[in-house]
Amino acid sequence: MNDSTALSPKAAVDPVTLEIVKGALRAAQAETEALLERTAMSDVIREKKDFFTAFFDPAGALVSGTPIPIFGHILPPILERYPPETMRPGDIYWYNDCYGSAGAVSHLNDQVFVAPVFAEGKLSGFAHSWAHFTDIGGMQPGSMSPKATDIFQEGLMVPPVRLYREGVLNDELFRIFARNTRFPDKLRGDTRALTAAVRLGERRLCELFARFGRAVILAAFEMLNRQTEAAVRSKLRALFPPGTHRFADVIESDGLGNGPFTIRIAMEVGGNHIAFDAMETDDAAPGPINWLVNPAVPRMIFGLFFLGDDRSLLVNEGAMRAIDEVRLRPGSLLQPRFPAPLGQRGLTLVRVVNMCSGVMNAATGGKANAGGSSYAIWSLRNADPAAAPFFMNDGVAVGFGARPYGDGHDAVYFVAQENNPAEYLAQLYPVRLLRYAIRCDSGGPGRWRGGCGVVREIEWLGEDALLATRLDGTKAPPWGVAGGKAGRPGRILLNPGRADERVLAPLGDGVRVRKGDILRIETTGGGGFGHPFDREAERVRQDVLAGFVSPAEARGEYGVVLSDDGRTIDREATRRRRARRFPTKLFHRGRYRDAMS
Amino acid sequence: MDQNRIADAVAIDIGGTFTDVTLLDRRTGRVWNAKTPSTPDDPSDGFMAGIEQALALAGLAPDALGYVFHGTTVATNLILEGKGAKAALLTTEGFRHVLEIGRHDIPRKANMYSWVKPKRPVPPERIYEIAGRLDPDGGEVTPLDEAAVRAAAAAVAAEGVEAVAICFLHAYADPRHERRAREILQESLPHIPVSLSSEVLPVFREYERSMATILNVYVMPKVSTYVGRLEGRLAERRIPGRLLLMKSNGGVTGADTIRTQPVQTALSGPAAGVMGAVFAGELAGFRNLITIDIGGTSADICLVKDGEPGMTNEGRIGDWPLQVPMIDINTIGAGGGSIARVSEAGALTVGPDSAGAVPGPACYGRGGTEPTATDANLALGRLTPALLDGRMALDAAAAKRAVAERVARPLGLTPAEAARGILAILDSNMVGAIRVVSVERGHDPRDYVLLPFGGAGPLHGASLARLLGIKTMLVPPAPGVLSALGLLVSSLKAEFARTALQRPPHYDLAAMGRIFAELQEQAAQWLEHEGVPEGGCAIRWQASLRYLHQGFELTVPWAGEAATAEAAEATIAAFHRLHERLYTFSQEDTPVEIVTLRVSATGTLPRPAIREWPRGGAAADAVIGRQEADLDGTLRSCPVYDRARLGAGAKLRGPAIIRQLDTTTLLFPGQIAEVERYGSLVVVEA
Repeated sequence: MNDSTALSPKAAVDPVTLEIVKGALRAAQAETEALLERTAMSDVIREKKDFFTAFFDPAGALVSGTPIPIFGHILPPILERYPPETMRPGDIYWYNDCYGSAGAVSHLNDQVFVAPVFAEGKLSGFAHSWAHFTDIGGMQPGSMSPKATDIFQEGLMVPPVRLYREGVLNDELFRIFARNTRFPDKLRGDTRALTAAVRLGERRLCELFARFGRAVILAAFEMLNRQTEAAVRSKLRALFPPGTHRFADVIESDGLGNGPFTIRIAMEVGGNHIAFDAMETDDAAPGPINWLVNPAVPRMIFGLFFLGDDRSLLVNEGAMRAIDEVRLRPGSLLQPRFPAPLGQRGLTLVRVVNMCSGVMNAATGGKANAGGSSYAIWSLRNADPAAAPFFMNDGVAVGFGARPYGDGHDAVYFVAQENNPAEYLAQLYPVRLLRYAIRCDSGGPGRWRGGCGVVREIEWLGEDALLATRLDGTKAPPWGVAGGKAGRPGRILLNPGRADERVLAPLGDGVRVRKGDILRIETTGGGGFGHPFDREAERVRQDVLAGFVSPAEARGEYGVVLSDDGRTIDREATRRRRARRFPTKLFHRGRYRDAMS
Repeated sequence: MDQNRIADAVAIDIGGTFTDVTLLDRRTGRVWNAKTPSTPDDPSDGFMAGIEQALALAGLAPDALGYVFHGTTVATNLILEGKGAKAALLTTEGFRHVLEIGRHDIPRKANMYSWVKPKRPVPPERIYEIAGRLDPDGGEVTPLDEAAVRAAAAAVAAEGVEAVAICFLHAYADPRHERRAREILQESLPHIPVSLSSEVLPVFREYERSMATILNVYVMPKVSTYVGRLEGRLAERRIPGRLLLMKSNGGVTGADTIRTQPVQTALSGPAAGVMGAVFAGELAGFRNLITIDIGGTSADICLVKDGEPGMTNEGRIGDWPLQVPMIDINTIGAGGGSIARVSEAGALTVGPDSAGAVPGPACYGRGGTEPTATDANLALGRLTPALLDGRMALDAAAAKRAVAERVARPLGLTPAEAARGILAILDSNMVGAIRVVSVERGHDPRDYVLLPFGGAGPLHGASLARLLGIKTMLVPPAPGVLSALGLLVSSLKAEFARTALQRPPHYDLAAMGRIFAELQEQAAQWLEHEGVPEGGCAIRWQASLRYLHQGFELTVPWAGEAATAEAAEATIAAFHRLHERLYTFSQEDTPVEIVTLRVSATGTLPRPAIREWPRGGAAADAVIGRQEADLDGTLRSCPVYDRARLGAGAKLRGPAIIRQLDTTTLLFPGQIAEVERYGSLVVVEA
C-alpha cells in the first residue's frame, strides 16, 4: 500500500484492508473464470459454462468460492497424498476421483486442478479451478450414461496426482489421460485452458501476498470467513425454531427401472447445536443417480440461501459453518459405497437443494421457496461404433420454484450455464432446432407462479444416433407451498403427432434416432407459492398474453376470467369465481398435504 | 467538398445537468466554450441555446458553421430506463420466446435464490412467428410464409406498434427472407420503421442478434425524431454544417445512418470522452493511455494503444448483450457520489449506490446524510470548500459528521482513518476495473499514461497512478469538457461484418474473397454517401478467428487485402500471437476456424489547427491560497493553485491542490507537474 492509503494498524487487519482484499479476490476469480471460458474447447465448458474457480487458505479452507453448492472440501485428498512440505512453486495437482475424495468432486467428468501458492517462502494458499470435460473415456461418448452400473463405466479415474512439478508437465501422465478420451483435441485444449486458469489464479494470489504481506492476508482470510459465518449463523438461527423439522422427497427412477428412491432429511435445532440428518434416506440405487455427498455441500446449500444477494460477503468456509453436524448413512443414496455409479448425480443434488427449502418451509409454516426441477440434459452420439465419434450434449432449461416475494425463474438451467444457440448447433451437428419455447401452464399456480419449463424440439438430420435422456419431475413434480400448487411434470416424446409417436423414458439411454426423426422435450415447471386466487388478475392476464398460462388455466386455477381474445379481464366473473376460494394446506403435489414425508 | 471552406465547427455534448458546447475555428484553433442547462423535455432546446451562446461568444454568424458534432445519450437512456418504443419482433416459427429464454442462465455472479429476471424490451405478445427456414449456409429449407408476414403486419397495425425488428434464423448467411418480409410489411405499413438482423448484426447466435435488432428499433422512433428535430432547427437557423453524431465505436456518422442504426449510439457519450482523451494524449505526445472518466455515479475506463482505443464485439448495455462494434469501455459504480456504508456484518463498502445529484453528498447540503467519496475528500481537505469557481459552497462540517457517524464510529476508527479508508476502497475498486482492461487483456499498466478526466477524475488520478505503478499522468486542460474535444476532432467510422464459418483445412478462399468484396463495396458506398473526401478514406479488413472447438473469437487485422492462402496464413499467425498475449498461451498445433469477416471504413476529416497554451510566469504566481490537507496520514499545509493562471512551461511540486472550473487536481508529495505546450499537466514522480 502506498502512503496515501496507509492506515494505522489497530486490528490484525483493518476494515479497509479487509475490503480491498475482498475486492481483489473477487476480481481474481472473475478474471480466471473469464480466461477459462474463452479458451476452453469442450462445448460443455465454453457454451454451457460448466466450470468454476476458487481460492483456499494453506489449511485448505475455502477463501473465496462460487455461489453453487456442488463441491465439497477440495484440498484434503491432495494434502493427504502430498503433504504441504513436499509442495513447490509451479506444481499443479489434479484429480477427479469421487470416492477417493469423499465426494469433494461428485462425478468423474469434473476435473479438479489445484496450484499451491507460495509467499515469503512458505505455502500460503491454493488456486483452484474445475471444469467438466466432455469425454474422459468410459462406456460411451460423453463418458456418462443413465445405464451405467458402476463407476468404472463412467470414465478414467484419476486419484490425486501431480500433473506439473515446478512448472514441468508430467507428460507421461498426460499421455495416458489423452489416450483415454474419444476427443483428444478437445481434452488437450481444455487441459491447457484449465492449467492457464489456475496459473493465473496463483499469480494473482501471489501479488496479493506481496502487496500486503503474508500475515495480513492470512489474517484477512480468517476474518472474511468469520464475517460470512456470523451473518449466515444468525439468519439460520432466526429462521429455524428449536425442534426437529423433516422433509422427504423421491427420485423417480435410477435409469435401470428401479425406484422410486426416497430421500429423507431432518434439521435438528437444539440450543447450541444444529444438525442436518439424512440417515433415513433409502439405500443406494443400482443406477447412476447416487450422489456421494461431501458434508460440506449441505452446509453450503444453507449458507448460500442465507447469504442471499448480500454483496458485502464472500462465499467461503464461513458459509459452511452455520450447521454444526451433517449425518449421512453409508450405503444410502447420499453415501453410496464404491463402486456404485455416480454419473447422473445432478438429479439428486438439485433435488436435495430443493429439499433444503422444503425443510425450511416445514420449520416456518411456509416462508421459503417452493420446489423446483433439476436441469434436464439430452445427448446424441453415433450409433455405429465404427463411425467417427460425435457427441452432442444439450442442456435444457426448467422452471424453478416460486419465492415468498416473487415468481420462480422461468426457463433457467442452473447458475451461469448457458444453452446451445440454434445457430450454433446447426453449424456443428446434423440437427435442426425446430422449436424452443416457454412451456405454457408448466409453472405451478400460486400467488407467485412457479417458473415455466420449456419445449425444445429438434429434427435429426444425420446418420443413426443413440439418444440419452435425463429429465426430472415426470411423476413427482416440484411441490407447491403455502397454498401454491405443484409444477407440471415434464416428458420426452419421439415423433410427436406421428403414427410412431412414443413417450421416452425420462432417464434412459440407447434410443435409436433416425434421419428425419423429431425429438421433443417438455421440461418440468417449478412449484407455486401462496394461494393462486391471491395473484393479481393483471399479472395473470399478462401471463396469458405472453403464452405462459392458458386462458383455461387462468380461469380454472387462478379464478381469472378473460374475454374471448384473452386481452381484458372480466372483473365480475373473476370476482364470482374467486369468491369460491378453495382451502389449502402447507404443501401441494397432486393434492394439498400438511407435510412431505 | 464545400464544407471544408466553411471553417468553424461546433460540438454539443448533452449531459444530465448541463449542455456543453465548444466552438472551434478550424483554421486558427481558437476555441469558445459555452455551458447551458440541459432541457430533458426537448434536448434540442438546450442544444440550440448552447449553439447560440457559443456563436455570440465567438461573434460569428450561423453560416460560419461547417460541422455540427454531437454526442447523445438519448438511446442510452431509453435502453437503461426501459422507455423505448412499443416495438415488435418477427421471429422464425418456434422461437417466439427467444428473448424470454435468452441463454437460459442465472448470471454467474448472481445468487440463485434471490436473482430476479430482468424484464425484456419486447414482451412475447408482440413477437410474431413466421414459418420459413434457411440452413447455416443460407440455403432455403422452407420458403417464407408470406401470409404469416401479412397477418403479422395486420396485428402490428392493430396493436399500434411503433417499430418492427425482423430476426430470422441464419439470416447472417442470407438476408433474403428478412428482406422479403420487410417488403411485405412496408406494403401495408409504409410509415413504420423496420430493422433487419442481417443489417444490424449479421453474425451468428440468435439471441444476441435478436436483442441487437430489437434494441435498434426500440430506440429508433425517438432517436429518429430527435435527430430530425435537430436537423430542422439547424436548418431554421440556416446553419449549413452537416450534423454528425458520435457512435459507440468512437467515430461519427451522418444523421441518415443513425436513423437506420440508432443502436450504434448506445455508448455515444462515453465514446466521445475517450476520443477526446486520445486527442489530448496525442497533443502531449502520448499514444498509450489508460483513460478514466470519473463522474458522480460511475467511472468509465478504456485502454488506448498506439492511439487506438480497444474495441469489442461483445459489449453489453444494462442487462443486455449488444454485440455491435464498440469501444471497449469498462464501467463501474464508483464516483464522487458513491456512498460508504458499514454492513451488519461489519464490512465497509463504497458504491455502487450513489447519492447522485439529489440528495447528493452530505456536503452539498441538499438533504444527503450518508457519507460519499466527495465527503471523504472534503473531510480530508483534499477539496477546497467551494466548487465551480466559488459558485457552489460545500459544507465541510456536514461531510465530517457523516463520515464520523456512519463509518468511523461503527468501525472504531478515527474520522481521518475512516475518510482515508473510504477513498482507499474506492481507489481499489477502480484499480480492479483498470486491471480488467489492462492486465486482463495482456497489457502492463505501467507502460501506459493515466489520463483522468470528468469532474472527479483528476482528484483520484494521482493515487490511482501510484497504486498501479504508473509513472506518468496527464490531466488535460479542461477535463470536464473533454467529450466536446473528442467530437471536434473525430473521424467518420463504420464497420461491416458477416459470419461465414470456414473450417480447416479447407478454407474456401474464393467465397471469402466474395464476401470481403461485398463488405468492401458496402464500406465504399457508405464513405461515398457520407461525402468523405477521396484522400481521407481508409478501408481495413479484419477477421474473427478461433481454435477449432473454441466458443469465442478474437478479431485480428486481415493480412493485406486479398483472400489468398498466404494472407490467411499470416492472419492465423497474428491470431496465435494475440491468443498468447490475452490468455497466456497459444496452440499452434490446433486448427483455426475463420468465423466472421469484417471490413471497417474510416473517413478522416481535415484536421483542425489547435492553439498552443499561453506561456505564463512562475507557478508560484498561480497560488491563490493554502489549506490543511491530509494526503498521507498527516495534516500539512498545501498550496491551492488556480489552473487558469498556470501557463505553459509552469512547474510545480506536490503536495498541491489545483483548482479549476470543472475539476480539482490533487498532487501527492513527491509528484511533479509541468504544463505542456497545449496546456495539459504532465505529472511524474520526482
